[in-house]
Amino acid sequence: MKLIRTNPSALARVSGFDEWFRHPFAGLPSLGHFFNNLSEVFPGVTGDRLAVDVHEDKDAFHASFEVPGVKKEDVKIELNEGMLTVSAEKREKNGDNESSLRLSRSVSVSDGVNAEAISARLEDGVLRVTLPKAEHRKPRSIALN
Amino acid sequence: MNTTCHTPTCCAPSATSGVTESLRKPLYNVHGGTDAYEVRVELPGVPKNGVKLDFDDNILTVRGERNISVPEGMRTLHRELSPLSYLLRLRLNAPVEEEKLVAKLEDGVLTIALPLKQAAKPRQIAIQ
Repeated sequence: MKLIRTNPSALARVSGFDEWFRHPFAGLPSLGHFFNNLSEVFPGVTGDRLAVDVHEDKDAFHASFEVPGVKKEDVKIELNEGMLTVSAEKREKNGDNESSLRLSRSVSVSDGVNAEAISARLEDGVLRVTLPKAEHRKPRSIALN
Repeated sequence: MNTTCHTPTCCAPSATSGVTESLRKPLYNVHGGTDAYEVRVELPGVPKNGVKLDFDDNILTVRGERNISVPEGMRTLHRELSPLSYLLRLRLNAPVEEEKLVAKLEDGVLTIALPLKQAAKPRQIAIQ
């Protein structure tokens, strides 16, 4: 007997085609297509929370948020009582219709951050916030006498 | 952006080719007009030179290589963003003017305009 191993999910991800059916009269893709995608709107993230990565090096904390389709002027970054909050508004225009979606995320920030020196840049749909550590929190070497 | 054909394994993956690379499907939507379709694909973290677009045999393939490797000397405290690259394949069953396909990448969103061939456009038929 031969055992044939298949991995349908992995296979489907690579080779699965998405068909988009065109109604001969309406000339629009089927609605079902959009509903299929709803569950994937924010994979791994519940509600309207933005996904975030946080890294640390000796000088700073680095937080990266995914904000595809968001313009620079539609991003707001606030630091309030140890919470860094990023809010973004995603606007989409389809002909005459304009839709917008509000997304936000708060991350707790240690008190060792130099609030004055926080900087951010938006590139390729990823917002990178750099939170420099306050002087007293940086590792330092102590010289022996 | 040029439409280029890349590795044949991407264009025609099969069970026997041993696809080991992990990819995920990006979020996308399609809007249709009478003259053209517009496909918008979310590719956050993908730079312009990381996007490959291919249109062959009515199959539109979008590949986005992410480069979000953690720089040396950095420690990960929290991770939610996926490091996987994107692959989207759409079979278009509408005749598209291949040569007039236009794509642009802006703020991590790839917008592809697919003009329809003249014959595919709906036409008004006058009643005699």
